[in-house]
Amino acid sequence: MKFLRIVVENVLRNPLRTLLTTLGTMVLVFVVTMVWSVLSFLDEQTAEKNANLKAIVTERWQLPSQMPYSYAASLREGAAREADDIRPTDSMTWSFFGGSLDPESRTRESSLFAFALQPEKLMTMMDELDALPLSQAAELEIAVEKMAGNRQGIILGRDRLAAINKQIGDRFTLYGFNYEDINLELEVVGVFPPGRYDNSAAINVEYLNAAMDAYPQTHAGQKHPLADKSLNLVWLRVPNTQAYSQVAEQISNSPSYASPAVKVETASSGVATFLEAYRDLVWGMRWLLAPAILITLSLVISNAISISVRERQKEFAVLKVLGFKPFQILSLVIGESLLIGATAGLLSAGATWGLINHVMGGFTFPIAFFGIFYIPDASLWWGLAVGGGAALLGSCVPAWTACRVRVSEVFARVA
Amino acid sequence: MANEPCVSVNGVHKFFRRGSERVDVLNGLTLSVPEGEFLGLMGPSGSGKTTLLNLIAGLDKPSEGEVWVRGEKISAKSEGGLADWRTRSIGFIFQFYHLLPVLTAYRNVEIPLLLLPLNAKQRREQVMTALEVVGLADRIKHRPGQLSGGQQQRVGIARAIVTDPSLIVADEPTGDLDAASAGEILDLLCELKASLNKTIIMVTHDPRAASRADRVLHLDKGQLVADTPALSETA
Amino acid sequence: MINSHTFNPSAQLLAQTAASTLGISNSVLVPLGVLFGLAALLLFFGRIPISYNLLNLTVRWRTTLLTALAFTLVISLLTVMLAFVNGMYQLTENSGHPENVVVLAEGSTDESFSNLGFSDIGDIENQAGILRPDGRPLLSRETYLVVNQPIPNAPPGGPQRRFLQLRGIVDPNIAAQVHQIVLYEGGGWFSESGVQEVDSASATTAVEVVVGEGIARELGSSRTEAELAAAANSNRLDVGDVFSLSNRPWKVVGVMQSSGSTFDSEVWAKQSLIGPMFGKETYTALVARTADAESAATLKNFLNNDYKKAAVSALSEPEYYAGLSSTNRQFLFGIIFVAIVMAIGGVFGVMNTMFAAIGQRTKDIGVLRLIGYRRRQILISFLLESLAIAFIGGLLGCAVGMLADGWTATSILSAGQGGGGKFIVLKLAVDANTIAVGLLLALVMGLAGGLLPSLSAMRLSALDALR
Repeated sequence: MKFLRIVVENVLRNPLRTLLTTLGTMVLVFVVTMVWSVLSFLDEQTAEKNANLKAIVTERWQLPSQMPYSYAASLREGAAREADDIRPTDSMTWSFFGGSLDPESRTRESSLFAFALQPEKLMTMMDELDALPLSQAAELEIAVEKMAGNRQGIILGRDRLAAINKQIGDRFTLYGFNYEDINLELEVVGVFPPGRYDNSAAINVEYLNAAMDAYPQTHAGQKHPLADKSLNLVWLRVPNTQAYSQVAEQISNSPSYASPAVKVETASSGVATFLEAYRDLVWGMRWLLAPAILITLSLVISNAISISVRERQKEFAVLKVLGFKPFQILSLVIGESLLIGATAGLLSAGATWGLINHVMGGFTFPIAFFGIFYIPDASLWWGLAVGGGAALLGSCVPAWTACRVRVSEVFARVA
Repeated sequence: MANEPCVSVNGVHKFFRRGSERVDVLNGLTLSVPEGEFLGLMGPSGSGKTTLLNLIAGLDKPSEGEVWVRGEKISAKSEGGLADWRTRSIGFIFQFYHLLPVLTAYRNVEIPLLLLPLNAKQRREQVMTALEVVGLADRIKHRPGQLSGGQQQRVGIARAIVTDPSLIVADEPTGDLDAASAGEILDLLCELKASLNKTIIMVTHDPRAASRADRVLHLDKGQLVADTPALSETA
Repeated sequence: MINSHTFNPSAQLLAQTAASTLGISNSVLVPLGVLFGLAALLLFFGRIPISYNLLNLTVRWRTTLLTALAFTLVISLLTVMLAFVNGMYQLTENSGHPENVVVLAEGSTDESFSNLGFSDIGDIENQAGILRPDGRPLLSRETYLVVNQPIPNAPPGGPQRRFLQLRGIVDPNIAAQVHQIVLYEGGGWFSESGVQEVDSASATTAVEVVVGEGIARELGSSRTEAELAAAANSNRLDVGDVFSLSNRPWKVVGVMQSSGSTFDSEVWAKQSLIGPMFGKETYTALVARTADAESAATLKNFLNNDYKKAAVSALSEPEYYAGLSSTNRQFLFGIIFVAIVMAIGGVFGVMNTMFAAIGQRTKDIGVLRLIGYRRRQILISFLLESLAIAFIGGLLGCAVGMLADGWTATSILSAGQGGGGKFIVLKLAVDANTIAVGLLLALVMGLAGGLLPSLSAMRLSALDALR
């Protein structure tokens, strides 16, 4: 298109200015992309899903949630008793064990937080681990089998393994601190595939239970203080919202969970409650930070285009003399602005997407239990839209000024 | 001492490089300008007259040869030395005036004085004197945009004389003015020469302007071709 | 975090005096001082009158405005974000009294995970150093727990539950003295039994509670329209109001005056009631009041090193709260990152403006150089122009950012990994340090954005400029 060619020529006329504007746009689009990615990630986590739901069963009132392990068996069945009760399609129990490799001190290098669980559930119930590429799945499968066969096995994330200075095959003792006086003899049988579990550790819950059962033998017949509190969470997989409601009802109505009482919620609901504390921060990000960045972007582009228009006043007058209509001049200026903004926006979002997702392998979220998050593919559209939109907004006034140039005035000044 | 010329150009060559080509602009030029002379320089485009003016004014250095102004070998000065020298010793007048558009006439004239160790009172005296000489003492608060072409040029002249330099160089001072204003400006220049004994070197295309000079030199292809003591009418 | 770049003692003293008088930390004051000094030097050595630059800015007011506004936005955003982090730090500071010693179970840094058996600690209150104004030791025994409350009248789509921070107190009067808590007029502490009858027919009793002002507001906001209309105080729960938790009514008997501390977000009740109610049969912390910070240090060291009767971890209260501020640091890093990136964007903007300004004024530059102004003076002139835009925009940005002072926001104070954490309501605080950082960033942006263009202006030869 001839029009496009003119627009491109104009844009390339002052390469320095175009470069600076492009760089400024790219930098600001980068921040907006990051901010929106974080917000969209949080929204996604709290959005109620419709299929393949995970229900979380926890103690009803307290944090941290502590239930007796005896609840596990019936909870796995969704407290189903009648014939037409629904059973979850899969389940998983969680017990958190914190300890240190050094009985005397607790440092970053010696501390270890492990999840005690059923090994085979690692492959079926854990986020991301239930959808691994073949080679990684095979490796994890082997580790899981070893842990199932050897109750004292432990699987660690590679960062955690490095932090405590151990390798596969090493054995060590973990001296419990939340489980006082429970010391576990563990052997490293595998490593989690790289990703969100880099700093995690998993042990076989049977070993923990056995240790708890054996406690009275060495402590004058006294039960361990956490004997009836070793089950922290139960995850249940249900096919849809209907099934979820039914299972939730079954559990809530069951008389087996009187003391302590339990509650059932969806994973997203649990996350939403947790995120409540950050609601003002999230609000600030959504309604202060992002808009401010967008306005700044508009200003930067508007500045550049205004300068360019002012320098070319005579040219626009000449164009008018030659027969160009005001609308065409307006389109020209807006076209130049859009070209810079949209291109820079797309480039920036694309670079951010490539850098974070592929070069850095995802971004570790510093808040609690969230794993790694990635820049969504939609960000490429965001970049385009944000860059283009800011360019459009910023060029309105200068474009209007340009098309309103009065031929006579300009030539009078020059003459 | 009284007979020492104000300006002395000895065997000056000046060439520029355009890519791999060498362009000779001035070829072995020699001339001298006595004190208090009003000299005109004429010649076709590309003859080198502006280049010669730049050399005399200390804006450029010759490729070969020497340029002396009032006993100082300016072709040997450093860039910093030339800058200082220009402030005190030369006044410039341009075809397009080259005033700073945002400053008033007063402030425009004051600009060169800010480089000298004068206090505000002294500066004010000199600025007002210069403006009175050019007849614009009543327009000191006007910006260039509010002045006519002739008035702007007068401000330019005031600025050129405010540091009391002995040499004034003018590059087409009447080139952008109508006949009446041009006449006024030329009158002013003659007045400067007559009453203040300034040496004036003026580059011009305009024969009428040249006719007001004491002597006119013609340049062509970087060399002097004619030396007319006083020009009556030349085609 | 604070390191001084000054070298000789008198300069150091001057900096410290300035820092403490102005309330600005050294790491900000020194660079700011350097930049102001630089600007002053530029003004001093510059021969081109600054009015030339300022007049040009006024003539090209649209460009100046657009550029300055970008600065305003970046700096105001930075100010608000810093005010948030300030608020968090102020909260942690206000929460910790230097005379108090917090005693936790050995190895704990957060009372959420600390368990002190009743028998273990019986003897601690007899230790030297603890104040005994009327013979009784000012040692508060507390059980802190976080419980889950379904939010009554929760709008659909929003969260359906909230976390409530409960603190079981053995002796409220002692706790009040240790933590320096004052109740609003008209309220009082819970009774000996800790309960009140609310319905004689069913013999239902409500748990008596004293609530912090922050949580009172939060709980109060869950009331229905009708309840709000009938309420004594529609802003928050007040004495006499009842809320439900764990299938029991809980009645407010007192409201704690806001102390800018974590207690503003807590619900206090009798320990002997809520301990068993939620299955927590231990204390989580003991807090002892001593005469001053030195006495606190002495007691703390004694309990950590020499006390053999129980395994405890003692910290001075400020230390305890400082340990909970790792989230503060995370936020700070996030903010610095965002601010720097936005600043870079702004720098490109001001570079554009300056290049254009110089491009427009090459003739001016030529004339000035011709008249004898040196290259460096051209550089100085345009640098000052860039700094002027930055300063104006930055000052405006600080002014806008200051509007956020006093806003409230929710957040979490936590020690980092392992979960836990206190849910807090903080007040954004814009202080001298925040303003100083804002101005500093603005000036740095102005310098960075103006440098390249000014250097290019400097390099123009007089002849080329006038051609």
